Amino acid sequence: MFRNLNIWFLSSLLISLIVIIPILTVFSSFFENTSNYFEILKNTFLFEYTLNSLILLVSVLFFTFFIGTGSAYLVSFYEFPLSNFFKWALILSFAVPPYIYAYSLTAFFENYGTAYTILKNLFGDANYNKHIPKFDGMFGSILSISFSLFGYVYILTRASFLYQSQNLIDLGKNLGFSNLKSFYSIILPSARPAIVAGLSLVAMETLAEFGAVDFFSINTLTTGIYNSWIAFDDLAFANQLSFFLLLFIFALFILENLSRKKAKYHFNSRGGFKQKEKIKLVKKKSFFAFIFCFFIFFMSFLFPLSQMLYWTIKFPENLYDLNILSLFLNTLYLVILSSFALIIFSLISNYGNRVSQNRVLNILSTLSISGYAIPGVILAIAFITFIAWIDDSFIKNLGYLSIKKIFIGSIIGLVIVYFIRFYSLAFNGIKSGYEKVNIYVDESAYLLGYSKSKTFMNIHIPFLRNSLLFVGILVSLEIIRELPIALILRPFNFETFATTAYISASEDLLEAAAVPSLFLILIAALFIMISSKYILRDTNE
Amino acid sequence: MSKSFFEINNVTFAIGGKNKVNDVNISIENEGDIICILGPSGIGKTTMLRTIAGLEKINQGEIILKDKVISSNKIHVQPEKRNIALSFQENSLFPHYSVDRNIHLGIKKNSTDNKNINSNEIIKILNLESVLDKYPHQISAGESQRASLARSLISQPDLLLLDEPLSNVDQSFKEDIQVALKQILKKNKISTIVVTHDSYEAFYLGSKCAIILDNEVKQFDDPYNVYHFPNSVQVVNFLNRGILLPAKVTGGNSLENDDLGIIKGKFIKHYPTGSNVQLLLQPEDLEHDDDSNLKLEVVDRKFRGTNFIYTLKTQSNKLIPVAVHTHHWEQHEVNEKFGIKRPIELEHIVCF
Repeated sequence: MFRNLNIWFLSSLLISLIVIIPILTVFSSFFENTSNYFEILKNTFLFEYTLNSLILLVSVLFFTFFIGTGSAYLVSFYEFPLSNFFKWALILSFAVPPYIYAYSLTAFFENYGTAYTILKNLFGDANYNKHIPKFDGMFGSILSISFSLFGYVYILTRASFLYQSQNLIDLGKNLGFSNLKSFYSIILPSARPAIVAGLSLVAMETLAEFGAVDFFSINTLTTGIYNSWIAFDDLAFANQLSFFLLLFIFALFILENLSRKKAKYHFNSRGGFKQKEKIKLVKKKSFFAFIFCFFIFFMSFLFPLSQMLYWTIKFPENLYDLNILSLFLNTLYLVILSSFALIIFSLISNYGNRVSQNRVLNILSTLSISGYAIPGVILAIAFITFIAWIDDSFIKNLGYLSIKKIFIGSIIGLVIVYFIRFYSLAFNGIKSGYEKVNIYVDESAYLLGYSKSKTFMNIHIPFLRNSLLFVGILVSLEIIRELPIALILRPFNFETFATTAYISASEDLLEAAAVPSLFLILIAALFIMISSKYILRDTNE
Repeated sequence: MSKSFFEINNVTFAIGGKNKVNDVNISIENEGDIICILGPSGIGKTTMLRTIAGLEKINQGEIILKDKVISSNKIHVQPEKRNIALSFQENSLFPHYSVDRNIHLGIKKNSTDNKNINSNEIIKILNLESVLDKYPHQISAGESQRASLARSLISQPDLLLLDEPLSNVDQSFKEDIQVALKQILKKNKISTIVVTHDSYEAFYLGSKCAIILDNEVKQFDDPYNVYHFPNSVQVVNFLNRGILLPAKVTGGNSLENDDLGIIKGKFIKHYPTGSNVQLLLQPEDLEHDDDSNLKLEVVDRKFRGTNFIYTLKTQSNKLIPVAVHTHHWEQHEVNEKFGIKRPIELEHIVCF
């Protein structure tokens, strides 16, 4: 079993074990005693929490499927005004986290909000509040999450559409299919694994969502976990709730994994692929395609951006009250530390897996990358639980000082949990880079006299350069947007754009939340623009 | 001290229990000799090469190169320390380097070997000049296979292992490369093991061929012997260059078949008179003669460039292949009668 024991294998094993700890903590806590909060909750809100989580999940999946697949289909198969612009502009929606979208929705539609101001300026004083719809509560949450997350479905579906050969479309025509019939009987079924993969990611993020649902006061399992920890100080029960949520998420995770395996069959080998010819739309059809994409682009990116910009200009004092530079440096500090750790360790772990070809390590790695499926709230709480257990069981017994201060409420703890949360992103990103290099390349290097380390340094790292850059940007983007982990584990007086926005919003100071939100959107958008060519990689690249 | 330049002694080759080849004993006697390994797909030929290269370990037997044990159940010299080059069947070029750089990575800086391989010559012979500046994803499968071959040659190995080296190369180009490759290998005294499923390639390149069938080396001999004197029915069936007919030994140099009558020739192995045997009949054994009274029905005719291969049906429904030069004055169509020259005299009689 451990025939190929070497330093690479041991490093990979260690990394996987560290990442897997919080998952084990959540599972082991299932058997612990809880406070009365469980009884209270079971008889009162547990049903509501579960129902709300389900309503949210189903609705978000429906919306993201509709707008994600629809927009991907239009930009992949048709040419219409600005279709090339929309191709990458639609991914800017990733720059707006659901909680900032929620602030924008509220700010625009609330009584005497931006919509009211616009109407007043256009038509003079009147009681417009009665007629302005209110997008809050459950519907507000659904809209916020959908517009923020549809990008997953869009990117994966578009990539799958791109890999569809013109031959397939021609075959449909040859069989006498209309465009509509080709769409639902050829194009859509062959993109199914990609759509399911995108929807699974949306589902995981939706169940993990904290900021937006908390802002709209919707009680879900995730907010329940946070409340049981913060209000009732019941870690064990928080973990037990997490366990139920995790089971749900693991079911989705398995579904996603299975569909990804099938997705492999959709890659065309060299030679059989014929680049698609885009159909040029004219008149009404062109107009509707443009309007559809513009509406999504406007709603997902321009709307929250302009709302935050508007408030920042309207209330400039907030700009001066905040120490923007300090927030920027704090965010940057976290981004650099975490990305660096993630890239280095994921790279080592990937290489270890590659050279060891060990089944045990393979299983551990697969388990360890499930960290992405675990909501940030759960991870943060599981981490605190684990540190407290180590502290109580070992450190204090041995007569040493508590280690809690080193890991809880510190940058180290924050970076470790970010590491666990986004490990799968980094690991899979590098892995997909590695998949392009077959094992014979490594073996050729050995036979040319290269040792394992020299192969890693001289052959792999230069080859993976672009993948590493892409992974770095992707991880940075996630860390900039991340809220619950930073909220729970950040050191005293250490704020990021995300936490500052959240704190202002939770104190009903939405105008004050605008400045950090605006900066967060701008920085994230910048990262997206830099990496767009990797995210939207075309078939011939 | 071993007698041969390279030896495999009693080695069982296997990866995870699969593609097992048991108890192999083959050798390269002199430096610069080429041997070929022939066998059907999935039999373990590639496993053998990977093991010789040090990419897999062995549990029994030993592999010796230049008097040094490089693999045994106790010793495993790492691949990078063996100075053995393996040219893979699949694309193994470094994807982020140009073809030129890929090929020149083969040059070992500290090589003390006295082989003097000119990289430009290799590049020219393998017709790679036009793709030197391209990247692996921009060239064809045949070109990447040739580039990989060039890299292996330039690395000046003690032993070169070629896994189906020309499987992706165009037919029109293949023969020229085979000739050039053999010249380079001979000129530079590079000992080589070629794995192939193309028997003609093996017979041309190798001074000896090992036939792997049913998890073992069935025959290890020079190409002429493998072709004309196969040592088992399995080898005959694998080479597919003849059929086996039932016959009865009638004397020290003759036997009789119900359809063809008396057949004369020199037995390779002694069989007692009266014994029933299976006679190997190859396409070049029988001669065409329309004046003969022995006539068989043509059921198929294959054009093979130099020859036509006729498939003839006997009265007992056996199908016999007969080669006839394509310039032969009279050709026969399917369903026509085809005369066989009598008396039938064979160069050698191979029976089982």
